[in-house]
Amino acid sequence: MTRTENDIAIVGFSQSPMVRRSQKTETEMLLPVVQSAIASVGLTKNDIGFTVSGSCDYLSGQAFSFVSNVDAYGAWPPINESHVEMDGAWALYEAFVRLLQGDIDTAVAAGVGKNSNSDPSTLFTIEMDPYYLTPIGADPWSMAAMQARAYLDSGKATERDFAEVVSRNRSNAKSNPHAQVSGDFDIDELLAADYIRNPLRRHDLPPTTDGCAAIVLARGKKAYDLCERPAWITGIDHRIEAHLPTMRADITKSVSTALAAKGAGVGNAPIDVAEIYAPFSFQELIVREALGLDASTEINPSGGSLAANPVMVSGLIRMGEAATQIMKNGKRRTLAHATSGPCLQQNLVCVLEGDE
Amino acid sequence: MPDVVHESVFNLQFPFTRTLGSTLSTFFSALAQGQIIGVRTGGRVIAPPLEYDPDTGADSGTEYVKVGPKGTVSAWTWVPEPTHLHTIKNPFAFAFVTLDGADTAMIHLVDAGSESAMKPGMRVEATFKPVDERVGRIDDILAFVPAADPAPSAGAGDPWDAPAEPEITTQDSFCDLVYVDNTSAPTLLWMESLLNGKLIGQKCPVCNRTFVGPRGLCCIDAVELDESHLVDVPDRGVITNFTVITPVQYPGQLETEPFARCSILLDGTDAVMAQQSILDMPASEVRVGMHVAAVWVPEAERDVSEIGNRGWGSGGDCISGWRHTGQPDEPEENYLERMM
Ligand SMILES: [Zn+2]
Repeated sequence: MTRTENDIAIVGFSQSPMVRRSQKTETEMLLPVVQSAIASVGLTKNDIGFTVSGSCDYLSGQAFSFVSNVDAYGAWPPINESHVEMDGAWALYEAFVRLLQGDIDTAVAAGVGKNSNSDPSTLFTIEMDPYYLTPIGADPWSMAAMQARAYLDSGKATERDFAEVVSRNRSNAKSNPHAQVSGDFDIDELLAADYIRNPLRRHDLPPTTDGCAAIVLARGKKAYDLCERPAWITGIDHRIEAHLPTMRADITKSVSTALAAKGAGVGNAPIDVAEIYAPFSFQELIVREALGLDASTEINPSGGSLAANPVMVSGLIRMGEAATQIMKNGKRRTLAHATSGPCLQQNLVCVLEGDE
Repeated sequence: MPDVVHESVFNLQFPFTRTLGSTLSTFFSALAQGQIIGVRTGGRVIAPPLEYDPDTGADSGTEYVKVGPKGTVSAWTWVPEPTHLHTIKNPFAFAFVTLDGADTAMIHLVDAGSESAMKPGMRVEATFKPVDERVGRIDDILAFVPAADPAPSAGAGDPWDAPAEPEITTQDSFCDLVYVDNTSAPTLLWMESLLNGKLIGQKCPVCNRTFVGPRGLCCIDAVELDESHLVDVPDRGVITNFTVITPVQYPGQLETEPFARCSILLDGTDAVMAQQSILDMPASEVRVGMHVAAVWVPEAERDVSEIGNRGWGSGGDCISGWRHTGQPDEPEENYLERMM
């Protein structure tokens, strides 16, 4: 297919080491990663048309914490910059839309999350419904566990299936130099562990991770100037369901993922590799079903978010990993998925393609 | 001799008073009376109610109905070790409870005694706090417990005649978050230098600017700076900007008279130390261009515990303030083209 000046591609990707506790501030983590992503396509900071990041003031415990992160871009002379209080995947979506305006041809999307300063179970409880959930301490583990229980009761999976997701992702993570948790895990041993929240065990939960990532996007001919094999974004779609999981018709299905997949054109051709952001093991099964993927699609060769879960970055990393499969590994068509909110409330699906 | 601080605890607390709007005011006013209600909208009963139909976004109206106090569990999980977040301290379940008369579930606690008691389809019943302890909040329901009699709740589905003016229209909540920051490497260097009575900076090899208080980066060129870029800087400089603050006596405010906070450009550097105080001079006499020198706290009394990743460049409790040197002022116009 011939690309036009309205086509936008991922051309560069960089990520930090994914660690339980970084000694650096968010700004210190971000600077070398953003600059190495830009350098990887032979550009310098002054060549970038638009920069947008995703991060969370609550993780920093500081209002406007993203303002000091702008120092990582070298914002002098002044740059064109934006921020989303969302995972960096949504920052990339904004960069994609910005590029469609046609007046610039490069953009950077970044995500950063220093998760180790706070206690995630407390922090993410205050993002629940403030009237009906936060006052009773409906923590994110409990919310996910109720969804997992409903999924088991639907008969679509067993606890062994959950453990298999964990075992496969962490085994895949052995070849990911950035992974925080990797290795060979015996499924029977995993199943022998106590529940943290029945039916979820420690290994069904994501690790707490500090990290960041950055992606360089380019439009039209510029993408070929910067990258031998650009990963063209042929579809990107984001759908949201009711915030209260009890208001959704069936929490064992992800209707928003299915709609986003349709919008992004997932079913138009086979998907070689899918990078799925499923913070809790069983959610990978729900998302996979909603995406309509069959056994021919390789899932999470990076190890996914069970190998490292820097909140505010995990979705963007899925995009970088899916793009790398095209840019570096010669894959034809890949998919990246990102989620946000309790029990897979929001879902973003991005389809990437390399040229024939 | 005090030492550098590798970790500091930051407690972020803030109170909210939320207005509830008409639907939630009606719900919480009824709840405080021991009555759970839902709202009929889009051909079904939503409980607890929302002011909009989540499927369509339409106003959910005012057709309130009584629901519960008994209901049926569908999804559930078990909390073996309750934390400070949870409203009961013994192991309990969270569950989706569809109250009699409702078509959607409520998420709440089930105090079931043991995990083995939990089953989908189990019948449970709401237990309330004593009347005088209810505040019109969702935890006015202490928890659901296994229902003594599984028979349907009497009166569930009957209309609820809501008062025109609900009694409860706001809800208080208190946000309490604890952060444990680990001091980053450049800030540790800054702490160490302050304890030694010296000021240091980092000089960027690209733009040659000297930043006071090492930050590990040049924000102009977006390059990393490390220990090889450290430079000693003088503890003397010129005021480039200031503001005079008339103190409001909020908790923690120790000042009682108007005071100045100044930006000070140390001699030979390019980035100011901000928010510095001036000693032995009325705020009304502070001016741009004035030469000042640091007044150090005696070595044994210096303390860097207030410095952290959140306040780089601050003198902490090592510099008590800055004093006019008596030198003639620099021309004010030399400092016009500065942000601070
Ligand atoms: Zn510089």
